[in-house]
Amino acid sequence: MYIKTAYSTKGTSDEVIQDIKSQLGDFDTKMLVFFASVRLAPNIISQKIQDAFPDSTVFGCSTSGEIVSGKMLKNSLVAMAFNATAVNDVKVEVVENPKNENSVKKAFATFESYFKTPMFELDPSKYVGLTFIDGLSGAEEKLIDKIGDLTNVNFMGGSAGDDLKFEATYVYANGKAYTNAAVLAVLKPGVPFTFIKTQSFCDLGKTLTVTKANEEKREVIEFNDKPAAEAYAELLGVAVEEATNRFMHNPVGLVIDGMPFVRSPQRIKGTNMIFYCGVTEGMELSLLESTDIIADTGAAIKQAKDELGSISGIININCILRTLELDQKQLTDEYGKLFSEYPTVGFSSYGEQFIGHINQTATMLVFK
Amino acid sequence: MAGKIKQLIDTIINQRAKDNPMLVGVIKSKLMLKGIDPAKFTASSDDDPAIIAKLEAVMKEMK
Repeated sequence: MYIKTAYSTKGTSDEVIQDIKSQLGDFDTKMLVFFASVRLAPNIISQKIQDAFPDSTVFGCSTSGEIVSGKMLKNSLVAMAFNATAVNDVKVEVVENPKNENSVKKAFATFESYFKTPMFELDPSKYVGLTFIDGLSGAEEKLIDKIGDLTNVNFMGGSAGDDLKFEATYVYANGKAYTNAAVLAVLKPGVPFTFIKTQSFCDLGKTLTVTKANEEKREVIEFNDKPAAEAYAELLGVAVEEATNRFMHNPVGLVIDGMPFVRSPQRIKGTNMIFYCGVTEGMELSLLESTDIIADTGAAIKQAKDELGSISGIININCILRTLELDQKQLTDEYGKLFSEYPTVGFSSYGEQFIGHINQTATMLVFK
Repeated sequence: MAGKIKQLIDTIINQRAKDNPMLVGVIKSKLMLKGIDPAKFTASSDDDPAIIAKLEAVMKEMK
C-alpha cells in the first residue's frame, strides 16, 4: 500500500490530529493532502497537521463537506498520505493575490528552478499539478488560464469552501492558512495516473451566444443580442420570474468535443445574469439539462479503472451544487458508496478546475 | 487584412502540441475557454484586433 487515507470527526483540533496520526500509524508519508471543515480553526489546524508530519509536504484547503472512501462527511478532516513510491517528488508554492499574473509566474519560476526544467517542457504524462484556491477570491479563471498559458502539465483542483457560510475560505500549506491565495503543487507520481471530469448534464441542442458581458464580474448582459435573463428564459420556454428556479437543473455549458464545461447561473440582476464562473464575449453556450449523478459518476470511475487496470487512490473535488442536489434527492450515501472500494479523499467545493474553471462538476485525480 | 487569427492559432497549436493529439485537444479547449473557437477561423477570416491581442499574449508566454 502506497496511498493511505484517514479521517476524523473528533471534537478539538488536537484530538483530530491525534486521530489522523494514529490511523496513519508508521506509514512513511512523503506528501499529505488534507481537507478540513472551517469548524477547525484554519491557522491552528494547518500548523498542527504540519507539526504532526514534520518531514512531509502537507497542503490542502477548507471545505463545505468532506469526502472519504465510502462516505460523505460534514465537520470533519480527511487526509490522504502518499509514500515515495506513489509520489516520487513534489513541490508546493503559495500564490498570494492570484489575480496578479506575475504571482503565478513567480511560482512557476520556483518550479522550474526546483525541477531544473522549463515548465513548458515538463512532460504532462509524467507530472501533474494540483491547485486549491480561495473559493471567494473570484480569481479562478485568471489563475487557471495563466497556468494553461505557461505549461502543458495538467492542473486539476478546486475552490475552497467554508461550510456554506460564504464568509472566508482558506488554502493550507507551510503550516499556515491563507486567504486570497492559491496553493499550487507539482507532483511527479511514481505510478500511472489519469483524470476524471464528470458532470451530469445532457446538451439540449439550444444555444446562447454571449454578445455582451462584464467578464470581471462573471456577468452576462446580453445573450443573442437580447437581455440575458430574457434570452435564457425564452430558450427554456418559461417566464423570466420562473427562470431562477431552473438554474440548478438547467445551467449552460461550453461544449467541447461533446463534453460540457459547465457555467452555472447564480442569480438574475435586473435583466443581467451573474454566473459562478467566467463567461466571455463570443462564447457559444449550450443549454443543459441535469441527468443522473450516481450513474454518470459510477461510469466515469469504471472508465478510469478500465484505463489504469486498478485504482490505488482518488482525490475527488465535488461541486457543492452537486452535493446539494444529492442531499435534496437523498442520494448522499449512494454517492459516497461509489468510492467504497477505493482509497478516496475529497471535498465539496465552490468551483472546480480542470483545463478551465468550471461548475457543477467533479474533477478527480486518479492513481493506479 | 484577413487570415492572421488562423495563422496564430495554427502556430500556437503546432508549437505547444508538437503533434501530440491529446495535447492538440487540450490546447484547443484552452483557446475555447478564452472565447476563441479555432474551428470558426479560416484563412479568410477578418483580423479582429481583440482576438489577435489575446492570441499574441499566449504566443508571448511561449518565448
